[in-house]
Parts: sequence; C-alpha cells; structure tokens
Amino acid sequence: MLFPTIDFAVFFAVAFTVNWLLNPYAGPWKLAMIGLSYVFYGWVGWSYCLLLFATTAVAFVGGNVTGAMRNDRGRRGTMIVTVAVLLGILAWFKYYGFVSVNLDNLTRTLGMGQPVPLLQVALPIAISFFTFMAISYVIDIYRRKLEPAKPLDFAVYLSFFPHLLAGPIVRGPELLPQIRHRRDPDNIDYSRAFWLILAGLFKKVVISSYVSANIVQPVFTSPSQHSAPEAIFAAWGYAVQIYCDFSGYTDIAIGLALLLGFRFPQNFNAPYTARNLQDFWRRWHMTLSRWLRDYLYIPLGGNEGSGVTTVRNIMITMVLGGLWHGAAWTFVIWGTLMGVGQSFGHVRRTFRERRGLPPVADGPVRIWVQRFLTFQFVCLGWVFFNASGVSQALNVLGRVFSGWGEPSPLVTPLLVLVVAGVLLSQFVPPISVSRLQAGFSRLHAAWQVGILSVALLGVTTFGPVGVAPFIYYRF
Amino acid sequence: MDMDTDLPTPPSPGPPSAGPEDQPVAVGVTDWDAGGPSDGRVRLPWPRVLLLGVLAFAVWFLLFAPTLQHNAQVSPVGTRRTISLDITRPIAALSRALQLSRIVSATGRENDQPGGTAGLIISGPRGDTSRTKTKTRPSTVPGQAVAVTTTTTTVPPNPKLPTAATPLRVLIVGDSIGLDMGGALQSDLAGTGVVNAALDGRESTGLTRPDYFNWPAELASDIKADNPQLVVVMIGANDAQDFLGPPDTPYASPAWNGLYAQRVSQFMQVAGSTGAAVVWVGMPPMQNPTLSAQMADLNAIVKQQAGAAKPPVTFIETDKSLGTPTGGYTAFTTNAAGQIVNTRTPDGTHLTPGGGQVVAQQVIAQLVTEGYHI
Repeated sequence: MLFPTIDFAVFFAVAFTVNWLLNPYAGPWKLAMIGLSYVFYGWVGWSYCLLLFATTAVAFVGGNVTGAMRNDRGRRGTMIVTVAVLLGILAWFKYYGFVSVNLDNLTRTLGMGQPVPLLQVALPIAISFFTFMAISYVIDIYRRKLEPAKPLDFAVYLSFFPHLLAGPIVRGPELLPQIRHRRDPDNIDYSRAFWLILAGLFKKVVISSYVSANIVQPVFTSPSQHSAPEAIFAAWGYAVQIYCDFSGYTDIAIGLALLLGFRFPQNFNAPYTARNLQDFWRRWHMTLSRWLRDYLYIPLGGNEGSGVTTVRNIMITMVLGGLWHGAAWTFVIWGTLMGVGQSFGHVRRTFRERRGLPPVADGPVRIWVQRFLTFQFVCLGWVFFNASGVSQALNVLGRVFSGWGEPSPLVTPLLVLVVAGVLLSQFVPPISVSRLQAGFSRLHAAWQVGILSVALLGVTTFGPVGVAPFIYYRF
Repeated sequence: MDMDTDLPTPPSPGPPSAGPEDQPVAVGVTDWDAGGPSDGRVRLPWPRVLLLGVLAFAVWFLLFAPTLQHNAQVSPVGTRRTISLDITRPIAALSRALQLSRIVSATGRENDQPGGTAGLIISGPRGDTSRTKTKTRPSTVPGQAVAVTTTTTTVPPNPKLPTAATPLRVLIVGDSIGLDMGGALQSDLAGTGVVNAALDGRESTGLTRPDYFNWPAELASDIKADNPQLVVVMIGANDAQDFLGPPDTPYASPAWNGLYAQRVSQFMQVAGSTGAAVVWVGMPPMQNPTLSAQMADLNAIVKQQAGAAKPPVTFIETDKSLGTPTGGYTAFTTNAAGQIVNTRTPDGTHLTPGGGQVVAQQVIAQLVTEGYHI
C-alpha cells in the first residue's frame, strides 16, 4: 500500500482508531497491529506475507536460542547460523538473478558452458529493510544489548507498518520497549506529526515528481541528446528528487508513528549541507549508515588497525552498502565511489595527524567550497545510482564535458528555482520549523482544519495524476 | 582542495554510543512521561486528533471531489471503479453546487489526462543548429514543459538516406512497454547521428479507453509538432479490457474484435497521415498465461490490419526475440553479442533495459532491411 493514496488514508484512519481503542489491552493491541501490518504489506500481493512471516520466525527462534545459550561458542554459532539463513533468504530473492546471469556469461566466455540455472526471482518489496532489522535483533541479543523479545512483541517490531516498506531501520532497543509499554493516549504530538506527513507528501508528490518529469527522466532517457547544462541539472535534479522522495517517505513514516504514539529514529539531517563524505553519511539514510557501521564496519575492525586495513574496511562496507540497494554494477560503482571518497578523507586526516599538522582554520569560504565539492561528488554518485546501466551513466557524464554551446530548453527558471529552493531549505534552522509547529498547535481548531485541508489540496492539486512508487520501495 | 575536516572518522570508529551518529537517532521512549512537553507544542488526546484529521480530510474531499470523480471515471472497469464513482458522485455534485470546485478548476488541474509521467522527449542530431529550432512547449500533461525540436526543410530529403544535416525524423509512441523499448530505440537511433527521434510514452494507456487517454489525439498532436517520416508504435499491453458503453462491449467478443481492429486501423491512418512510414511492434509473450494469450490475440488483429493498411504497415513480432523458440515466455535471451540478457522485469510483463535493447536492435535491423541507411 502506498502512503500517498486514498486507500492508505482510509486504512490509517482505521488503524489509528484501533490502535488507541485497544491501547489499554496489550495482547489484543499486538494482534491487531500485526494483522493491520500484514494487510498493509499484503495489499500488493499476499504471497509476500509468507516471506515476512518466515523471516519473523527465523529471527525470533534464532535470537531467542542465541539468548538462551550459556556458552559463548554456542551463542556465536547460533547467531552466525541465524544471520546466514536471513542473508541467504535475502540473497536468493535479491541477488540470484544478477549473480546467475553474470556467472553464466563468464563461464560461457571461458567455454565452460552454463552451469547456473537462469531463474527469474521476483524481489519482494521491503525485504532489504526487514531483513536488516531482523539481523540487528539477533546480533544485539548475541552482544547482550537486548533481551529476547516475546513472540508477539517481536512480530509487531518487525512488521509495524509505518516502517515496514522503506524504514527507518529501527532497532530492537529503540522499538521493543515502546511496544511493551502502554502509549499515552492524551499527549499526541499531533502538530509535529501533521507537519511531517504534509511536508513528506509535498516533497514526494509535488517536488520529486516535478523534477523527475522535467529534467531527470528526459536526460537519463536520451543523455546524448541533451546539453551540458541539462546534464548537470539532471544530476542535481536527481539529488533533489531522491532526497525529496526518500526523506519524504521517512517524514511520513515518522509522522504516522507519532500519531500512533511511537517515536522513530531520525533518518535525514540536511544531507546536502555536508562538508565531506563522512559528514554526508552521518546525515543521509542515517539508520542504514549506523547499521553498516555497527554490524559490518566495526566487526571488520573499523579503524583500529593500520591505514590499509581501515581503507579496506571502508571499501568493503561501502561497496556492500551499494549492493544492498540493488543487484547491479551501477550500485557497485556507486558504493565504490562513496568508499573511495571516504577513504580519501581518512587517509588525508591520518597523514595530517602523523605529521603533527595543526587543524586547518575554518572560514566561510572554506566551508562553502567543501560543501560545494561534496555535493558535486555526491551527485557524481547519484548519476550511477539512477542510471539503468553503466553506459547510460557515462553518457550523462560525458554530456557534462561535451555538451556546451547547445540550447538547454529543459533548464527553465522554475526548475532552477525548485532545485535551488530544495538545496537552500537544508539550511533552515530546525528551531524555525519547531516554532511553526508550536504556533500551529495553539491555533483554534477551525484554523487547523482549514490549514490542513488547504495544504492537502495544494499537494493533490500540484502533484501529478497518479504518483510513482517511492524510489526506495525497490530496495 | 582539502576535503578533510574535523570530523575524524569514516562510517564510524569506536563504540556505537560514542559516535555523533547516535545523537540525532536517539529516541525518546519516555518523551511523554518526562513531565510534559518542553518544545512549546500543545498535545491533544487521540479522539481530538482523529476528529481534526477526519474534518481536514472531509474538507479536502469536498474541495477535490470533482477531480476524484474524474479520476474514478477514467480508471479501469471493475468493482473498485464502481465503488469510487458511487462515493465521489454525490460529493462532487455537492462541491459543484457550492461552487467549491472552482477552487481546483482555477488551477486547470481538474481534468488532467493521466497516463504516467513520461511526456514527449525529443532527441536527435544537434549539429545543424541553423536548420533546427529548439523551443519548449507545454506537454499534454500540464506542468510538464518538454523539449520540442522542429526542423524546417525546403527540399524534402530521402528519408532512407538521412544525413546529420537532413536527419530522419522518427516518432516513437507507446504504453509502458513501448516506453521500455522506446527509450532504448531512441538512444540507439540518436547514436547513429542521422536520426532525430522523439519518444512519447504513457504508462497504463492503450486504444480501448480513450476516456482515460486519447491516443489518436495525442498522436495527431505529436505528428503536428514533429512532422515525422517514420512512426514506431508499441501499444497494446493494457488493451485486453471491455470497451465502455453504454452498452459495454465485452472483451474478445466478435463486436469487440471488430471495434478494436477499427481503432488500430484508424491509429495507423493517423500515424501515416503525413506520409510517414509506420512500424508497429507487437507485444511479447507474458508470464501470466491468460495475459499472454490475450496479447497473442491482439497481435493477430494488429498484424491483419498492418497487412491491410495502404501503404502497408510493417509489423514486427517479438514473440521469438523476447520469448522461447516456440513463442513462450522467458525472462532471459541471448543477444547478438552472445551474452545472456535478462529481458523481463520480475512482474513478468515489462522489459528490462536489456530487453528494451533487444527489441530496439530488432527494429533497427528491420529498418536496415527496408533500405534505411542508418
């Protein structure tokens, strides 16, 4: 079920009412939430509910057996087996087709026939997200950071519909205590929730759709026929599009959870204000970044070893992070670019530390140049991220250098305004938004109804007829 | 340029709780237990929040009902459409009676044509700027400005012997599968350096529901704008449905087959109305056996009309190029370079970029066979 649909609006009205009516009754509430979440997930295809159930069962049993083991070898073995099964399920659905085609092409080239059967495996929506949440649960129990959950608690944790399709990737210690305790029905932070939902809808339905249709899609469809300014704006436009799409989804998810009495972790923090790639990854898809950090980078050794080891760990983490997004060489290149960029920063910092060089003084020019260069590097990565293939990405990038002196009819004043507006909005202080929310919450109810309905009207009027699915739904 | 800053770590070193990442993602599980809000925001009990949300939704619904009714009218026939119309009809009538619908009408968005996100995308050689004028014009989807290239030529060149100065003007139109193929074809044709290719693809469209998207009108508009010498069509994936009446004409009935053949024939006439050659690409086999059989039936009708058209329309079959040797469904094929290609998306219907490329190359090969020097 897509958030920006009337289907979902009706569904949520029911879910909201059921949530609060059953709030005093823990058992029925959990059963109801599980049922509603499975209806939400199964709306596009009931067969995938079996996969969600299977993942829930594997992670629950594996986590609880791990927690019950007394000796460390047993705990470690159970954890590894459980994580391997979960990753195996993910690999089958997400990577089998990619691996089999590439392997068979390689073996055919080498004259070794076609050893791997070619099968088309449908990718279940949200599998990457709930698999990572399930893995974090099992590993957190192994690390004794989390007590094994009760079956219904864990089922709610994994399937809870606000985060189910595209995150945020909420961890057990964050969500399970909220599931166990009764929510306060009299203190709903509704002004913040409504703000998040409407801002998310506006970003997704109006901004993301507009930029996609007016620059990104035309240029990526036929890059060789567009000018350099159009290619540049297509890359910048995609940066705006994916930010508005994914952060818009996240805003809606966090807002919905707030209305149900839950708090989700923040997933974006003005990412295009970042001054380097490390900074960017602390601001972009933050719940994935910390997942990769805690369950991949640090177990690999983090930056505890030599410089070479650290660079290796960064590269492995970022390339696998790229592959998490999809089974394609474009994602491998995107992850590699992110890894190279971060490694460069690490090596440079280490070099300066070893030489005993003092920190470089910060000034406005330096800060803005860093921001500008970081944004351009991120956009370089986005070109590969969005391209249907490596050649398409190279064609887009090629036009940046070869397409000067040609007309650029797609770079309209409105497009420039939208791209610049979204980028500048990243610098709006959060306190201003908070004050707006506070001001709204003190208005008379009639004004509130009027503002909400007009805002909704604005979104639906200026958005296209029929909204494309969120980009991150396919991951 | 120094890219390094005072942020000392890659994704993160040290214990998880020590990193700056943890600060923004911390969740306040006991936020409401901490003695009341300190951020100035008033909280409300859930029944009042529900009332607020429902009232806001109701006001929006009343304002937007005419558009919702229109969207319901052009949606696929079925229970959902019937229910949507039953719900929106009285609300829309009330909205109109209260003059509220004027608010949305003032924006010009009430009766937008749906049909996906793709508008007209033009590409082609840019070298001869003295003969080519590029401008923007509104797409048929309001709010989407698109590039249009118009070429004025005094002496009609031979379209089969195009040059960079006198490129072959190609128009590609299609539904979502046509878009899958059209993107690759447009790119490959543009890569020849002697073809100006325009692509107009609309998702979820076809020839059976002009109330939803009027393809003949759209095609006529495209032809007026581009004056193509060659039109490539790939439409049909959404056409296996009843013709709306009253009375409705059930799909696959003799009357339906006759009417569909008539619409295909008319569409071919519009495509060739300015003397352009027309190529129609057939639908590939589908994973869903029912849909696959339906596509085979539609292909048969189109093929018959292509042969009967004057001048004849070239019909390109894709059941072998995208299917098994017997015309069955497969998601993989071997391309001209001997590489295995995944041609179909997991929905078993649409084409991957690789699949689009396979069909695009098939179309180009056919054009070369017909004497086009591209």
